[in-house]
Amino acid sequence: MGHGNDVLAGMYRLMSLTRALDRVVGAHDGHWHGLEGEEAVAAAVYHGLRDTDVVAPHYRGAITAALAKGADLRRMMAGCLGKASSYHLGRHRSDVCGPPELNLIGLYGGSLGPPLGYACGAALAMTLDGRDDVVLAVFGDGTSSRGDCHEAMNMASIKRLPVIFVCQNNQIAISTPMADGVGGPIAARAEGFGMPGRAVDGNDVLAVREAMDEAIARARAGGGPTLIEARTYRVAGHFVSDAEDYRDPEEIARWRARDPVARYRAFLIAEGVMDAAAMDALDAALVAEVDAAFAAARDDAVPDPAALDPAAVFAEARP
Amino acid sequence: MTRMTFQQAAVAAIADEMAADGDVFVMGQDIGRFGGPLRSNAGLFETFGAARVIDMPMSEGTMAGLAVGAALQGKRPVLDLMFGEFLALVMQQFLDAGAMHYYSGGAATVPFVLRVKYGIGPFHGHAYDHHSWLMGVPGVKIAAPSTPQDAYDLMRAAIRDPNPVLFLEHMALYHAGRAEVERRAPPRPLGPAATLREGADVTLIGSALMAKRALRAAEALAKEGIEAEVIDLRTIAPWDEETVLASVRRTGRALLLSEAVARGASINDVAARIAEAAFDALRAPVRRLAPPPVPTPFARELEAAYLPDEARIAGAARDLVRARAPAPAR
Repeated sequence: MGHGNDVLAGMYRLMSLTRALDRVVGAHDGHWHGLEGEEAVAAAVYHGLRDTDVVAPHYRGAITAALAKGADLRRMMAGCLGKASSYHLGRHRSDVCGPPELNLIGLYGGSLGPPLGYACGAALAMTLDGRDDVVLAVFGDGTSSRGDCHEAMNMASIKRLPVIFVCQNNQIAISTPMADGVGGPIAARAEGFGMPGRAVDGNDVLAVREAMDEAIARARAGGGPTLIEARTYRVAGHFVSDAEDYRDPEEIARWRARDPVARYRAFLIAEGVMDAAAMDALDAALVAEVDAAFAAARDDAVPDPAALDPAAVFAEARP
Repeated sequence: MTRMTFQQAAVAAIADEMAADGDVFVMGQDIGRFGGPLRSNAGLFETFGAARVIDMPMSEGTMAGLAVGAALQGKRPVLDLMFGEFLALVMQQFLDAGAMHYYSGGAATVPFVLRVKYGIGPFHGHAYDHHSWLMGVPGVKIAAPSTPQDAYDLMRAAIRDPNPVLFLEHMALYHAGRAEVERRAPPRPLGPAATLREGADVTLIGSALMAKRALRAAEALAKEGIEAEVIDLRTIAPWDEETVLASVRRTGRALLLSEAVARGASINDVAARIAEAAFDALRAPVRRLAPPPVPTPFARELEAAYLPDEARIAGAARDLVRARAPAPAR
């Protein structure tokens, strides 16, 4: 694949961090949207971007995306708790919305399609300014049914925008299985919109990364958008408290056995990139780090009710 | 000074802002060589080219999304949505845009002008006035000029404003005659209302076509000895409470005019504030004049019956002035 050990280890770190977030935040928040089973997509997609690249992440993986872009872990944890120390000052939640100053475009409402358009807008700004930065627009199979998704892909193709569309296809939208929500292969839509598209094994971090590298290189060179469908499976519930009485536990068990983290660990050991002890130590260190950040954030101040100041909704006009 | 129509003044303002700031660009359907519906972008393509006057496919929601995303990257997009009846297609994008600055503690700003044509007029279609939907959305502004000079000033102000702005362009005013326009900068900021006429007996409050009709109604009332003050809101959100309340305190009577149906109309917010903040000064109940709660009709005769006209505005004002204030309790 030609990836240096720094990239391979970096992706493992992001994977392990994602799993640590699941353990720590998931233990405290019944509404946490877990990533178990989908860690390979998050690790491969969000690793190694430039500061000036823009990311509109899937909400399932939005904290991983923010941390990969350099967000402060404690402030992100504070954002899960609505603390004043968070990037959004307790006015908005960090689990679905990272700091815009790091070129993240999070969810500012619960509607999942519009950020795909925002991603295209950021890409349009890049082309207008002659930049060779790129935008990642990551979405689920559920959002792939939105008109916004179709419009955004069509727009990116027409305007030759440097957007990499990544469908983090976990085969289920809350309780709706893909067969009931998606009429045909998502990757095949790319042809209809006039852009390259490919389906990859979303549980294979290296396969996802290879597709990303190709798509990013094309976008930076002015070659326009790409659609990547990363096929994976949501081993986690829609959220932690999900009763999950809508699907077969055996199906979940089959996919749990195909754990992308274990698979990548085996690869790294076989290639001699990292050994099991080093990865175990990293896993434990990251859990401790996330745990400490979460615990520290719990002691942070809550927002002052004065933050409801109506004047704060408007930016001041420049002189 | 040049004599311009409303449409020419709005386009001149965009051209002047594009010349002054390389981050300003315009986009929309059929705005390039076609010049935009009703000539809404006439000449911009020839002056600034395809890179800054960007023709778009029929994807309203994603066009609004492009504007939001580009604004977050420091651009100052002006989106011509064609018609106000398409607002429903961009609502989520506008709601998100309105929330971003506050939610991010100021880290994100979304300077974004959303132009819509609307209103019953000579073009006989696309008249629907849905701007009131946005009255309850924090973080967005609504501008509604009634004259060529205001079209120029408010458009420049809207483009310079670092917030999402819905810019209403009334089709009955669009090509309705020329007036002197000073191409001045920097423009006055959005917000202040204009007192079009002073009067002591009743305050007529409206915007765009309603402000124009209110002024004519006031001239007719003057012949009967009734002096009406006419306030053109110009900026509907956030509207100028100071000017409106001071006027109503002087006249003791308020007649609110709307082209949107009364239920849920933006003027209701004005009525509520008058009741809250100037109740003691009222000599008659606050009165609203608006179309009946039916969808905007087609036939000319129905259109004429639908919109408040000068005669009905004058009649309602007359009734208000003649209404006796309730006698004080003994």
